[in-house]
Amino acid sequence: MTAITTSDDTGAIPGVIQSKESSTAILIKHLLLFAFLVALWELAARMGWADELLFPAPSKIAESIWRIYVTQGNIWFHLYTTFKEALLGCAAGIVIGVALAVAAALSETFRTYLKPYIIVIEATPRIAIGPLFVAWLGFGLSSKVALAALVCFFAPFVNTLTGLLHVDEEANELFRSLGANKWQTFWKLRVPTASTIIMAGFKLAVGSAFGGALVAEFISANEGLGVLMYRYTYTLNMAGAFATLLSITFFAFWLYRAAEIADYRMIFWRSNELMEKKSRKRKQAFLKSIA
Amino acid sequence: MAAEAQAVVNPAEARSDASEQIVIEARNLTKAFTETVVALENATFKIKKGSFVSLVGPSGCGKSTLLRLVSALIQKTSGNLSVHGQEVDKPRKDIGMMFQRPVLLEWRTAVENVLLPNELSGKITKEDKKRAMAALDLVGLKDFEFTFPRQLSGGMQQRVALARLLQTGADIMLLDEPFGALDEFTRERLNVELMRIVSQVGSTTLFVTHNISEAIFLADQVMVMTPRPGRLAKIIDVPFPRPREIDIQVTPEFNALVAEVRSVLGGH
Repeated sequence: MTAITTSDDTGAIPGVIQSKESSTAILIKHLLLFAFLVALWELAARMGWADELLFPAPSKIAESIWRIYVTQGNIWFHLYTTFKEALLGCAAGIVIGVALAVAAALSETFRTYLKPYIIVIEATPRIAIGPLFVAWLGFGLSSKVALAALVCFFAPFVNTLTGLLHVDEEANELFRSLGANKWQTFWKLRVPTASTIIMAGFKLAVGSAFGGALVAEFISANEGLGVLMYRYTYTLNMAGAFATLLSITFFAFWLYRAAEIADYRMIFWRSNELMEKKSRKRKQAFLKSIA
Repeated sequence: MAAEAQAVVNPAEARSDASEQIVIEARNLTKAFTETVVALENATFKIKKGSFVSLVGPSGCGKSTLLRLVSALIQKTSGNLSVHGQEVDKPRKDIGMMFQRPVLLEWRTAVENVLLPNELSGKITKEDKKRAMAALDLVGLKDFEFTFPRQLSGGMQQRVALARLLQTGADIMLLDEPFGALDEFTRERLNVELMRIVSQVGSTTLFVTHNISEAIFLADQVMVMTPRPGRLAKIIDVPFPRPREIDIQVTPEFNALVAEVRSVLGGH
């Protein structure tokens, strides 16, 4: 059982380039390279080096993006559907994963009996269960949410369990020597200690939510980005398909980014800047409370 | 008349009856983890109220085991162990503990860490908060009350842990190599401060270390322990009055004590 990602201890949102002056230079280089690649692609399409039916020119894709968002505006409806499926599925997966993990962390018996099932679920490629969900739950929302939840639940489960089980022995002894009861130790020591790794699990879940919803839509659905993508490809509207794909990437990226930022802010003691802010706030509140 | 004058001049002397009280008493105290792994065998000792006792010896001599028995973090196998005349069976409010690592909660400011004992035993009052601020002041962390552990050095983190221990109000303090992970200079400075603080609050202190000089420098009594099985080999009285200055460590009397401890440990 291995989920757990590491973006720990850097004190910054991972991926954000640190040093300021060189970052501008790097950004310019990135943009130049990107512009060159896009221009090359455009050229290839116009000169007929690539089959434009299968690889539409970037200008055509841009046109298509304009159409689906503005002039025709048909993507919003599908975007809403897929977002709803992904977020509901992700939330359900996290709730189920965390609940199972807490139960498993608190009861050794439960943990022992749960283990073989977890191994089986881990060994099964989760999206392979998709057709079954569609058969059981129908073509609507629930089968999509179910598959997204199944895809999402694993990382929060493993990470929460690992985090809760791995408790510093001396901290445990400290709490015992101070006469803490089981619940105090759980809420004031084990949960906050595990929060770093639990949040890493949540990030992984958020990152896979879209995938689960999309696969379920591919299997069978009437609405959603997966359906739109499928329709465009089927009718050989490749520019539309690419525009949809880019949309998926764009929104999946920002969803994950949001989760990263939430993680960064919640586990504030990894960042000096956040600690200083918190420190000032708590100082004010504390001094007020004893005044 | 003489007694009266004494009582006025030195209140500590007037309480001399109380200071003779036995706070911790062990008879044939034994802890075996398995039949062959005996961590502590037949330890017998008495610890007086307000005294500072060092436990010194190499790894595996049972010094940490002894501390954990007193704090009831582990249970004895046989023998007797009493605190204030009561057999020890569960953690007591009047016993506080400090570990080799500071074990601070990273998501809490220094003062919030110090308040943990109050929080775990009920509600935090305004008084508790004021005492916590005073405790941090006492350990030399004034102006650092609202910093987070990660913003503090190792030595400062241990000071927070010491303030937290003081906050428990426990009159028996168990210190398990509290400064063992710190550099020599920081450790020496903290030892001197520890001695000052302990005299000030008048607690009974058990201090585990594997540093012989440190053990003698701090204590009224040194319990020398030897390993396999863990045994209490000898209890040596340290005659110097407390508090002491660092330079005491270069006196012949001090070195004679060091030699004595070494000779007890010699065979091991």
